[in-house]
Parts: sequence; structure tokens; C-alpha cells
Amino acid sequence: MEDNRDVEAGENPFQPYLDALRKELEHQDPIFIIGIIISLAVVVISFVLLKYFLSSKTVQSAVLLVGLCDSGKTLLFSRLLSGKFKKTQTSITDSSAPYKAKNEKGSSWTLIDLPGHDSLRPQYVEKFKSAARAIVFVVDSAIFQKEVRDVAEFLYFLLTDSAVSRNVPYLIVACNKQDITMAKSAKLIQQQLEKEMNTLRVTRSAALGTQDGSAGSSVYLGKKGKDFEFSQLPMKVEFLECSARGSKGENGQADIGSLEKSLANL
Amino acid sequence: MLDFFTIFSKGGIVLWCFQGTGVTESFTGPVNALIRSVILQERSGNNSYSHDALSLKYKLDNEFELVFVVGFQKILTLTYVDKFIDDVQLHFRDRYKNELEQKGALALLNSHFAFEDDFKMLLREAEESSKARGPTSMRSFNASLKSQKTVKSMIETKGGDKGKEQGGKKNKNAKKEGKGEKAKAPTSAQKTEENGNQGLTQEEIIQKKREEFIRKRMGAPVEKPSKSPKPVKEKPKGKEKRVWTLGGSSTKELDYSQSNGNGAHAAGDQGLDRGRGGGRRCCREGGMFGMLKGLVGSKSLSQEDMEPVLDKMRDHLIAKNVAAEIASQLCDSVAKKLEGKVMGTFTTVASTVKGALQDSLVQILQPKRRVDILRDVLEARSQRRPFVITFCGVNGVGKSTNLAKISFWLIENGFTVLIAACDTFRAGAVEQLRTHQRRLNSLHPPQDHGGRPIVQLYEKGYGKDAAGIAMEAIAYARNQAFDVVLVDTAGRMQDNTPLMTALAKLIAVNMPDLVLFVGEALVGNEAVDQLVKFNQALADHSMSDKPRLIDGIVLTKFDTIDDKVGAAISMTYITGQPIVFVGTGQTYNDLRSLNARAVVGALMKA
Repeated sequence: MEDNRDVEAGENPFQPYLDALRKELEHQDPIFIIGIIISLAVVVISFVLLKYFLSSKTVQSAVLLVGLCDSGKTLLFSRLLSGKFKKTQTSITDSSAPYKAKNEKGSSWTLIDLPGHDSLRPQYVEKFKSAARAIVFVVDSAIFQKEVRDVAEFLYFLLTDSAVSRNVPYLIVACNKQDITMAKSAKLIQQQLEKEMNTLRVTRSAALGTQDGSAGSSVYLGKKGKDFEFSQLPMKVEFLECSARGSKGENGQADIGSLEKSLANL
Repeated sequence: MLDFFTIFSKGGIVLWCFQGTGVTESFTGPVNALIRSVILQERSGNNSYSHDALSLKYKLDNEFELVFVVGFQKILTLTYVDKFIDDVQLHFRDRYKNELEQKGALALLNSHFAFEDDFKMLLREAEESSKARGPTSMRSFNASLKSQKTVKSMIETKGGDKGKEQGGKKNKNAKKEGKGEKAKAPTSAQKTEENGNQGLTQEEIIQKKREEFIRKRMGAPVEKPSKSPKPVKEKPKGKEKRVWTLGGSSTKELDYSQSNGNGAHAAGDQGLDRGRGGGRRCCREGGMFGMLKGLVGSKSLSQEDMEPVLDKMRDHLIAKNVAAEIASQLCDSVAKKLEGKVMGTFTTVASTVKGALQDSLVQILQPKRRVDILRDVLEARSQRRPFVITFCGVNGVGKSTNLAKISFWLIENGFTVLIAACDTFRAGAVEQLRTHQRRLNSLHPPQDHGGRPIVQLYEKGYGKDAAGIAMEAIAYARNQAFDVVLVDTAGRMQDNTPLMTALAKLIAVNMPDLVLFVGEALVGNEAVDQLVKFNQALADHSMSDKPRLIDGIVLTKFDTIDDKVGAAISMTYITGQPIVFVGTGQTYNDLRSLNARAVVGALMKA
């Protein structure tokens, strides 16, 4: 009995409010109620549409131009978009522009040129990696021998990144500066990089953890027990040669035919 | 006279360039050096930089993301350069507003900027204006005021303007009186009247004085116009109070409570307060919708907008143990980077500034070169030479302890280590290292490594020359095919010149692969002094023209600070070198590497 009274007492404070609300609603025009329902529906629909449009940004529609400092990314960017030769300086921020691929479909996506300087690289890769549909890794073929460890480390960092290994973008390694006589061929660069990545797999996994306890990425490249080869990766990797400056100097055409063909196949 | 002038976008595309006549070498090298050492290292506080024989001045345009750089020979002192850059910037912006406003790099790539003529005109104007303000030549006698005065007016100056000496004590006194009375405005009027009287006849003088008398009777009946006692009376009054420019006449000027109160108020609350403050300002101006105008719409940042936020951020950084001058340099650099930038909608000044500061802090902490010790050791091993690491630092920062931790990590990865005991000064230093060696060998017994102990100690007791011991240790390691040599040195204060010379000699003679400066995370402003003096000593006492400086930093005692991690910023900012190891405790396992994002997160946390 007392429980019942308690329950009633609990309901009672709400009861008058509910009654009042019901009376109010009944008093009003039905149009008013319809108006409320429609506005609620509009809000819900707009939320859904907003989510759809926002999420469409993370749909991979960008091709990133990455590489070490001075490898020729900005000049390649200019050549791909306008075909002109432009003097360049070290980039401080990224540049992006829409690019029309040279294939029958005429698909167009965004070409993004990221700065290559060591202190800026990680931030910009972090920002754009999830939107990448393909990554063009530009390598300076002329001074490759001196820089092989730095190139390999950056490539390793890219390949073991969690977002990249999840999205599996198409990787093109463009061996740039082929107009210089001492430039190494794409095949040689591929072999050297494979050897270097082999060593890096060991040293990187033995590296110290960070001070806040967050472990590094646990992605293991290639197959355990076997030497590393680019064909073992889940993503498609292609090595090609190009020359952004072109063999005829500043006024001539750039030698980027193979790069354009690969980009057209995306 | 300029060597070159370039305008390029922050994305790296050169929009327009000018090369002075007779200049053959390309400017790409110096400009790249400017970008890498100044802009990317957040030293853009002062806008000039010197590279070899060239001096470079630059200006950032943050609204359109452009950089303007001018280069000229260092030996020339051109005074018009600063103003010239500003003029060129404004001119370029106005002329190419349409192309620059478009988003995306296509507009920059496709348009051709024919800026030659405007540039030449501006240059000519600047050069002429600097020539016009040439050294002022002395005036000739005829041009001076002295020749204008008649002789009569200069005689008998009872308090005239700059009484000219015509000889006589009377005039000298009169001059003194005149100078003293010049300051007293009401009386000087009377004096000049008297002066003017000299030229008139006696009757006219009496007439004038009668008129004066009547005027004064009307105006100031209290004051009895008497001329003769007046000049005598005014002499003591002539000595007027000295007004110190920096001292206030009253303490009212020293009362800053009002402005402080307002400042604290405006910058006190986070978030939307800036917008509300702007709204409050706008409310007075623009009515009801003015409040929203401060929040929405494109507003470009100016120095005054950022001032309170930057002050607050500077104090916050200093509270987090960043050295004071580093914090202020950082804030200046961020202000330079944001000046003129157009904010997006619904962004407040505080959030923009905070974001920019966060980005620049992460950028400073990112290493500027590859940091992978294991890989470098493997490389040295393939070249059949030992990899030499030297530890230096002041007393008591943890050199020996961290040396033991690093050797533990190395032997865990299968490298053989030789410890060189070059601390021949501190009591028990050699014994300490011997104990570490014994413990490490017991953890990794020699049976596992082909019968050879994995850690060995090379010591020659106390009192000997450290550089000699280091050289012998490296030779021994090369003979016995050790992979790594860790050289432990004695702690020394940065002001102690003989000890700093000894350290510099050790490093210059032995040419180690890595010179690590060990610094504790508890240090505050001292970090700046320590690092500067250490680097200075290493640079001064090395014989070669490419001296070995500090290559990396070991940050120790990181577990003792909670989130006052500012020492990391101070050290990397001063040297530009990365933090290679972080010591987080006193056992062998407490060795970590730096995570830039985590440190910056802890630093920016309220």
C-alpha cells in the first residue's frame, strides 16, 4: 500500500504537467503540431546530408607528391599542371590544385604538393595521408647514393603508417632528375631501397619507445624470414624515371611521359 | 646596388625575380638557407639574415602566402631597404590582387607577373629618397638667423631671445635671466614688451606703459604692475623645477590598475571572450548585428589583436619552464607569421594564435635530420670502425647513469660496447663505471657472445689527460673490433674556461661520430646559457674551419617534471639539434625517445 502511494506520489508531480501539456496540445491547431514535426524532420535530414557531405571529403581523391627536400616535387607539380618551367624555392606550406588526367575518362582529382623539409614533413603527411588515393614518392636520382638512408627511412615511415596501410593507395616512386648524367636508373634505386628497407625493419623495431608509452606502428613490411621486396607489399608499387627539368633545359618540355601515363591509369 | 630580389609563394613557386647587373651566381642557395634557418626554425623575429657575403632581408605576406626577399652585399649599408620592401609588397599586392586571391596554385602557375617596370620605378624612388636625405651641410653665416638681427636689437638685452653677447657682464646676466625667464610664459611676454621698448622714444614708452597699467588694472587688479622689482623677484623664480622625462610629476601616472584590470579582463576568459570583446566594441559602433560581425566574416589579424593573447601565451610558456627569452622570441615569430592573415568564419583570435603556436612548437621539436643510432652503428660496423659517442654536460645531470642505460640498449641489440672512462676528476667515477660494466656483463653473459665480454671498460685511473685516454680507447676499440665506444667526460660548468678548453680539445682531437649534450629537464633559463657557452667553446677551440658542435641532446630526469616540459623547447630552439634520448628514471630500462606531439600537448595544456 505504501509502495503504491509512493509510486503515485512519484507520478503525481509529473502528472499535472503531462495533463497540462496534453491539454495545451489539444488546444492548439493540428497545423501547429504538423509544423513542429516537419521542422524536426528538416533538422534530422539536414544532419544526415551534412554528415554525407563532410564524409565525402575523406573519400580519397588526392594524389600526394612527397619526397625529401630538393628532390624536385614543386617543379614536377608545376610541370604536371601547366607544363611550364618555374624557378622554385624550398616550400614552406602545401600547394594543391585540381588535375585533369590524360585518359579517355578525363577524370580529375586533386594534386597536392607537400613540403619535403624534415621538420615539416611529418605534420603535412599526417594531415593529408587519409585523403591519399595515390602517393608519388619523388627521389633525387643524382645524389641518391648519399641520401639512400634518409630516403629509405621516409619510405618506411610512409609504408608503416596505419592510415596508409589501411587505405592501400597506389605508390609510384618517381626517380627524378634523370637529365643529370650521374643519375641512377630506376632498377638500381629499387634494389638499393629493398636492401635498405631490409635493415630498417630490424633497427626500427628495436628502436626505443616514446616517453609517454605510445608504441610505434606495429606494421611489419613484407614477409618474415625473407628478404624485403616491394612486390610483397599489399599496395601496388611502381618505379619509373622522369625528369622535371627536361633534357633541353628550362625552355624545353619536361620528360614526364611515363609519370603522366601512370597517373592516367589510376 | 641590390644583388637580387625575389617574390615567391610559400608553396615554393617563384613568382617574379630580379637579378642585379653583374651578379652571376644564382640566388636559390642563399634564399633556401634563409628559409631553412630562419623561417623554419621560428627565428623570424628580426627580419634580416646574413649568408656568406650577402645580407638578406625578408618580409612575409601572410594574407596571400607570399615571401619577399631582397639580397645585397653585407659591406654595403643601404638604409632604404626596409621601406623599399614594404613599398614593393604593397604595390605587388594591389596590382595582382585578382590572381593572388584565387585559391589553389593554378592561378600562380598560369599567370605571368610582369613586375619589372614597377620594380625599377620603386627602386629608383627609394634610391633617390635615400640620397635626398644626405648629410646636412653646415649653414653659411648669411643663411643663419644671426645675420638677420640688427645691431640695435642685440644691445642691452634685458631678457631677450638668445641674447647675443656683445661683451659686458650686463649682457651675460641678461642672457641668464633671459634663458631663465624664457620658460615662464606670462612674464616673458612682459619682457619682450620691454625689449621692444628699446626702439621707441621716451614719450611713446610712457604712453605704452600707461596703457599697460590700465590693462592690468582691469585684468588683474591684484597684481601691482611694477617693473623694477619684477626682474629682481623673478631671478629666484627663474630657477624653475626640473622636469624629469621618465619620472612622473605625480604618482597618478604610476597607477596601472585600470589598464591591468582591462587587460586581464579581456584576455582572462578563454574561447569566445575575444569574440565577445570584439562584439562589445562593435556594439558601441554597429548596433545589434555588430556583435555577430566580430565573430563571423573575414577579419585580418593585426598586431594589436594578437598582443593580449600572445602575452598570455608567453606567460603560460614561461610558467611551463620555457626560458624567458626563448618564449618571447617564439611569440614574436608567431606574430610575424600571423600578421595580416585573414581568419576564417567562427574562428577567434585566441584559437588561431594557439593553433599557430602549437604548429611552430611541433616544428621546433621535429628533428631536422634522420635520428637512427642503430642504423648508423651498423653503417660504421660495415666500414670496420667503431661508432664513437661522447657525453658532455654540467655537473650532476646524469651523464654516467644515462651512459649505462644507452649501453644496455645497445647490448640488447647485439652490439659490443667499450666504455672509455675519461672522467679522471670525480672521486669514484671509474669505480662507478666498473660496477655498471660488471652488472651489464652479468645480464648478458659472455658465453652468449662467443666467450667475449660484451661490455668492457677502458680506464687509466685518475688525474690523467682525458683527451689522451679517449684517443687510446678508440684505437683499442678499432683493434679489438668493438662496435661502439661511449666516452664519459667529467661534468663542468660552462663558465670554467680551462675545463671548457679541455673538453673542446678532447672533441676536436678525437672527432667522435656523435657529440651528445646531456641536460636535465629541471633546468630553466640556465639551459640557454649552458648550451650557448658549450657550443661557443667547441667552436672557438677547434682548429678546423668546420668545427664539431653539439649534435644531439639527451634530456634526463624527465620523470621528475610532470608537465613542465619547457626545457625540451629551450634546448632544441637554441641548438637546432634533435633530442636523441629521454631519460625517464634511474634503472637500465628507463630510456625513451621523444614524441614531439605528446610534449607539445603537455606544454599547451592549461
